[in-house]
Amino acid sequence: MNFERVVFGFFIVLTLSLNVAFVAGGVETAEHHNVWILTFAIIVNLVAIGLKLGDRSQTGALLLASGLVAGLLLIAARVVWIVAEPAGGGGPGPGDMADIVSIASGALVANIIATAILVGDTLLSRR
Amino acid sequence: MTQTSDLDRVSMIVLRYMRRPLFALLLVYSVGIVGMALMPGKVVDGETTRMDLFHAFYFFTYTATTTGFGELPNGFSDEQRLWTIFCLYTGVFAWFYAIGSLIGLVQNPHFIQAMDGVRFAQKVERNKDPFVILCGFGDTGSLLARGLSDHRMRAVILDADPERIKALGVRDYTVAMPGIRADAGAPKHLMSAGVKHPACRALVALTNDDDVNLKIAVMARHLNPRLRVICRSTSARHEANLRALDNVTVVDPFEIFAQLVYWAIARPELHNLNAWFVGSRGVELGVPVQVPRGDWILCGYGRMGHWIQGCLQAHGVGVRIIDPDVNAREVGEGTVIVEAHADHAALLTAGIEDAAGVVAATNRDSDNLSTLLSVTELNPAAFRIVRHNSHENQVAFDAARADLVLQHSLTTARRILKLLISPLVQELIDWLAEREPALTNELVVRLQAAMGSEPPHLWSVRLFADEAPAVTEYLDAGGEVALGVLCRDADAFPEALSCEALAIRRAGASIMLPNKESPLQVDDEILFCSVHRVEPKLRATLHNPYTLRYVLTGVDESRGYLFAWLEGRLRWRRDDDDNGRRRRP
Repeated sequence: MNFERVVFGFFIVLTLSLNVAFVAGGVETAEHHNVWILTFAIIVNLVAIGLKLGDRSQTGALLLASGLVAGLLLIAARVVWIVAEPAGGGGPGPGDMADIVSIASGALVANIIATAILVGDTLLSRR
Repeated sequence: MTQTSDLDRVSMIVLRYMRRPLFALLLVYSVGIVGMALMPGKVVDGETTRMDLFHAFYFFTYTATTTGFGELPNGFSDEQRLWTIFCLYTGVFAWFYAIGSLIGLVQNPHFIQAMDGVRFAQKVERNKDPFVILCGFGDTGSLLARGLSDHRMRAVILDADPERIKALGVRDYTVAMPGIRADAGAPKHLMSAGVKHPACRALVALTNDDDVNLKIAVMARHLNPRLRVICRSTSARHEANLRALDNVTVVDPFEIFAQLVYWAIARPELHNLNAWFVGSRGVELGVPVQVPRGDWILCGYGRMGHWIQGCLQAHGVGVRIIDPDVNAREVGEGTVIVEAHADHAALLTAGIEDAAGVVAATNRDSDNLSTLLSVTELNPAAFRIVRHNSHENQVAFDAARADLVLQHSLTTARRILKLLISPLVQELIDWLAEREPALTNELVVRLQAAMGSEPPHLWSVRLFADEAPAVTEYLDAGGEVALGVLCRDADAFPEALSCEALAIRRAGASIMLPNKESPLQVDDEILFCSVHRVEPKLRATLHNPYTLRYVLTGVDESRGYLFAWLEGRLRWRRDDDDNGRRRRP
């Protein structure tokens, strides 16, 4: 067992889980989506990117790329949330919420790809 | 006089064929359009309208092509309608004439040939992958093309016989193999086949005519001196001529055949290894044919017979010859000669009862097969080697159950394929042939241990940045990689992969059967013999720096900067502790 793989696998899978947790629910309903989960997803994702820096293998490059895509989209979703939130609080309106959730769904695809690569690489190397 | 290319010729043929129909169209169009513009139209407000030239052209275009939109832009007067009838008949006939000529053109044999030439040259020129030029697509040529296709190597094929090129069209090769009916001896055709193309790896001259082969080799040497040429030749005069040229390899099918016969008789272990490498049917590694000792009877003393007799006698094997036209003076003293066809009586005269075996080597399959029948009857214990000439008689030879069937087009094709795909294999076989049989047996034992009962997969890899980036990087950084270490299985460290390195080519010299401990250098070419599934694994080791480090050390190194740094800190502290402990006695 390789300690680095454990740590990296933990962060990759955690990003995916948090992303699903955020996206799940009605697309336009602000009450179904928690801004804290989104923020945690961003942080965990950034950690995963940081862990992959310096890997010279092909799979490492692909994991880094998908991590960057997911990070970009999640941050974009968070920015939209900040801009759309009314001054008194209470969450963005239905239209803005739909934007945020669809951007986060895009990030979900990137995270699924990263997890698939990680699992595939581990199964193929068999050690 | 100016030079003309195939493309010029095509345009010339088109122009010449289409000149008259184009003139006819031009004439009919001009008369029709001008006439239509001149015809008085309907009278509007007391003035006669006329069609302008643009509308006349528009009208004529849809009328002559029988589209017929009607009377546009305005209704026609009777004069105009009269002229319309004229336009319609002349225009439609002019078009039919033009189209008929065009159809005649595309069926014109000269045009088809010129177009084939242009298309072929374009196909060759656009091709980026390495390829081989194959001149002659007979028995040997088609077997060689099949072998090249199995190795995913492209070939460009020239043959003077249109039937052979048609036969090429119905083959299912794994890669594109463009072919054209052309005389390969003409430099023009060699040029369009890509003799100067940067991706051209070699030229193989395999036509049935030795003169043509010599001509092709000489032309190719002039056109591209750096191109490797492999040339089939059966006559001594041509061979001497060809061997004087550098970069030309002469392949004599009779010599190869005689060599194989000799190996089968005197070096069965080497024959077995060679047959196993080239993938002959029903050959098992380490189970050589059991050949009895004694004198051999050679039926047929033509060019092949000469080679076989020379080869066997040079290595101390006694030969008795049966041939109707043998010249006793040629053969030399003390050889038993029977001047007859190899039938019952002749075989008895030659002493079939106490002969070790028979080589039926005439160029007629029916004679060889009938000799086999007689031998089986007279001495069932005799070893029977038979020459198989024509591919068509395959089934009969399968049924004859001779101890060894050698088809000379197949042996030649295999030899050339080895020279093209993995020259190191042939070098290794030749190297083993010059040494003691014990060395071959040792290699066979090693291969058996590594491969089990699986068929061999021979492949070579060159240690340069494209093929083995991880290894070259490691070597350039001052690391050392031993051959045996590289062959470790990353999935079951430190077990070895089921593969055996047969040879290393380093700086123009070859190292045969290299030592497992021998360190590798950048730009080495290594020939591996492995089971099929091992190649991707070994290639992964060559490509991935982490897999390489793992097989070298057995430790999975950290990949990211963070963990590499942490590990460095950890190691540093451990070293510190060790030093500290050592300092305290």
